[in-house]
Order: sequence, then C-alpha cells, then structure tokens
Amino acid sequence: MSAPVSPGLRSGSLPLLVALMTLLAGLALAGLTGVQTLARSWASAARNDTTIEIASDTPRLEERLQSLAEALHKVPSVTAVRVLSPSQVQTLLAPWLGNGSSDTGSQKDPLPGLSLPVVLIVAHAGTSDLGALVHATLPEAIVEEDRRWGTRLNGLGSSLVACAWLAVGLIVAIAVISIGMTVRRSVMAQRKAVEIVHFLGAGDLTISSTIAGRAGLLSFSGAITGLVFLSPVLSILARKLAPFSHSYATTIHTEAKGLLAGFWTTLDVLPQGLLEQLASLPLIAACLGWMTAQTVVLVWLRRLP
Amino acid sequence: MIRLLNVSTMPPGTGQPILKNLTLTVPQGEFRWLLGPSGAGKSSLLRLLTLETPPSAGQMEILGISIGRGASKGTSRAALRNLRRRIGFVPQDYRLIGDWTVFDNVALPLRLRGASERDTRREAFAVLEWLDVAHLADKRPGSLSGGEQQRAAIARALIGRPELLLADEPTNALEDAQARRLLGTFQELVDMGTTVIVATHNEALVREAPARSIIVRDGTLTADPQIQDSFAIRPSGEQS
Repeated sequence: MSAPVSPGLRSGSLPLLVALMTLLAGLALAGLTGVQTLARSWASAARNDTTIEIASDTPRLEERLQSLAEALHKVPSVTAVRVLSPSQVQTLLAPWLGNGSSDTGSQKDPLPGLSLPVVLIVAHAGTSDLGALVHATLPEAIVEEDRRWGTRLNGLGSSLVACAWLAVGLIVAIAVISIGMTVRRSVMAQRKAVEIVHFLGAGDLTISSTIAGRAGLLSFSGAITGLVFLSPVLSILARKLAPFSHSYATTIHTEAKGLLAGFWTTLDVLPQGLLEQLASLPLIAACLGWMTAQTVVLVWLRRLP
Repeated sequence: MIRLLNVSTMPPGTGQPILKNLTLTVPQGEFRWLLGPSGAGKSSLLRLLTLETPPSAGQMEILGISIGRGASKGTSRAALRNLRRRIGFVPQDYRLIGDWTVFDNVALPLRLRGASERDTRREAFAVLEWLDVAHLADKRPGSLSGGEQQRAAIARALIGRPELLLADEPTNALEDAQARRLLGTFQELVDMGTTVIVATHNEALVREAPARSIIVRDGTLTADPQIQDSFAIRPSGEQS
C-alpha cells in the first residue's frame, strides 16, 4: 500500500450508483444499435421505384397498359418497367388480405370474390415525376412514389437515432451529476482531514488526485458489476428479438443448452460494434469518475485560503 | 522572521474583527511566549500565522513571504503551499487524521516535502521515540489518551525541523517532566535558528523559562511587562 499523503474517497454508494448507470447506458446503447440497424435497413429499402396500380376492371386494360408501357420506356430516366404476375401481387397484398392458402389449399388462386389489380413497378433514376405521364394514359391508375416513403422512413430513423443518442447523453449527464454529488458528500464528511493535509502544505492536485484516483477505481469496479447484471438482460432481449432480425443469419438455439451456454451464444449474436461499446463502458465510467472527482475537489479546495 | 503591520482578521460573515490592528516583529531564531486570557485572541493569532485565516487588513510577512489582504489573492497558492511546509504547528485540538496510524500522521509533513520513505521512517521513529510514543506508531489516534495524542501532534510539528514552530497549549496534557523536556527541545530548535511561538496558560512554565512575550487582550497587543532577553530553561525546582 502506498504512503498516504491525503484522505481518499469514502463512498459505499458510488460503485452501486455507477453499476446502475452502466446498466442504463448499456440498455440505451443496445437500443441505439437496434435503431441504427433499423434505420439503415429502411434507408436501403428506399429505392427510386414508382408503383402503379390499375384496377382489373378498367376498360380496354390490355391496350392501354401496352400504351403506358411504351410511353414509360420513352422517358430517359426510366430504367425498367415490370408488370407483376397475379401471384406476385397476391404476395404483395398478403399482409393486408392474407394469402388464402390455409383456406383454399392453393397459393396460386386469388382470394374468392376479389379481383386483384394490375401492378407495375417502374424503376427510374430518381428525377422523374411519372404521375402526370401515367394519368395522361390511365387517369384511373394510382401512382405511388416509393421515394417519398423512403424519405419519411429516413426521417423517422434519424429521429429515433437522435432520441437514442439523447438518452445516452442524458444517462452520462445524470451519472456525472450523481458522481459529483457523491464525491462532494464524501469530501464534506472528511472535511477535517482534508483541511489538515491542506494546512500542512498538501497541494490541491495532490489532494484531488488521491480522491479522484479512488473515485476512478470505484467507478471502474461499479461499471464491471453493472455489465455483469446487464449481460443476462441483453441475452434475454437478444433471444426475444432474434426472430425479427433480418441482419443476422445466426439463429439462437438455447432450448437444449444450459443458461451459460445460451448466454455465450447470445453474445456471439450481438453486433461487434455493440460489444465493443459495452466493453468500453468501464473505462468510460472510470474516466468520468476521475474527471468529475478532480473537478469537484479542486473547486471545493479553492474555498480554502 | 515574522512581521505584522496593522493586521486585522475578520472571519467571513461576522462584522467584528477578532484581531485588530496588530503590529509585531519576531526575528528569525527567537522564542516568544504568547500569553493572554481565554478568548483574547491567542489561537486566532496562531491561525493567522499558520495561514488558516487570511488577514482582512494590513500586511504581513512570514519567513520572507509577503501576504496581503485575502492571503491567496495576494500570494500564489503554490507559494502559500511551500510556506506551510516550512511551518510546524501543534494545535490545541491536535488535529490528527483519525483513519491514519500515528506513524502516517507524523510522517505526513516529510512525505509532502517529497522525502524518501526510508528517511521519513527513520526521522518519524526518531521523533516518536524521543516523545516516548514509538510503541503507538501503528495505533489510530482515537485509541490514544489525550497526552499521547498531544505528543503525536508535537511529533508531527517537530519532524523535518520547521523554520517556524507555533504551538497552542502544547503542554496542557503532558506531565511536568515531559513539558520540561519539550521546552528543552524548543530551546534546541531556537539554537538551530527556528522561530518558536508558544501559546500557554501555564504560568509555572513561563516562570521556568522566562522569555519575551506577545500579550494579547481583546484582539489587540499589549506591551510585554517584563521583557526578557534570553530564553533559558531553569533547573527543576528553581523559582523565578
């Protein structure tokens, strides 16, 4: 043990406080990673396609469809025009109408009593306003620009990511304030000892570094504890969310394995970036604890002559 | 050398100065008794000289460092820190750190000066042995008697031979023999060039070691009625 030249930090609540903050920060980071992944998938889905829907009972449908296709091909920015088959249309509409396979036993047959529309997907370079052109040939057609949905989804994704970052920032701010208050309480409890070493000639940095070093160590151990408690929570969340994830091919099979084996399998499924962020939490907590304690103690010492 | 010129101190939040317009000079390497009735301002003067209380008015110079109004405003914190390391102080309430051992309390001034651990250990045990408390080195102050705590506080003040030694009632928990021995040590320090100021109520002790006195009454200095030119300890039993 090194020779003491200043009182250290006495706080039993600091590790617990940091452990709880680490738990919250870990959950926020996991949420942030999830939202970022979702936003990226939305961004990639936002293609410059235009979907044209035409009711199947439109008069002279074949002929007018042919004219529309020719007109679309003449537009320089249009790269492809594709007419979906009835089965593709049925698949497209399945979330709203159901695929009918359980009722009819055949996926090829349309739903009884329902005439499926004709659907054209027009791929283009992104600058065309095809609505006017389509309506000139087929006024009854419904024209939907995928790009507009893409923009909306992008905006929504960005907002969710910003909210997640805000949550992380708030947790950091609350952690700093809580650590600061805990350190200040500890200094006040040892006020007499701190004043003794100050009036014997201890430098402000000597006193603050001793207390800050202890605060950093306690914060580090608290963050490690927080990670230990966070791991099973993330493990359970990852297992619950795995079926909804399109990004990771790995499937979690935990039924036949023990809890520990399941836990390691889950860790394997978590994104590398998230694992790195979680691993850095103890170091970040230690740095925050050290810096906050240094600042609080130095400011407090300025009041002594 | 200590020099005070029209110095007053006023604790924050109080409208009344505790020490008023003090002018005083104590040359380097001299001894002074600090006398006066209870509440006259002796401890306040010692707190002023140990830089715990800044002057609210006037100018003072301690060991060559000028200190103005507000202390840390006129002098850099680094200069004040270095000055404090040259001063030994025995407070009336001992001010030992309760969580530390007696040894760590006594070793603190040398450690703050950056002395090696070997030298610190040697010097700390030398002074603790001299004060008959070496066997208590590993004890916490809370487990010691008042006299033992006082000796530990004296050891902390003496270690490293300070240039200025201030003591507030340093013998009130000591036996007569220990008190006389302590006065002998003060004599040795004065001989080595240390300025020593001792506040006391112990008239017998003052009679035994007559010296020039600083007399405080109602926060002001009064003339020394019996100026003595030398500081010498008389043989035991001899009355002045």
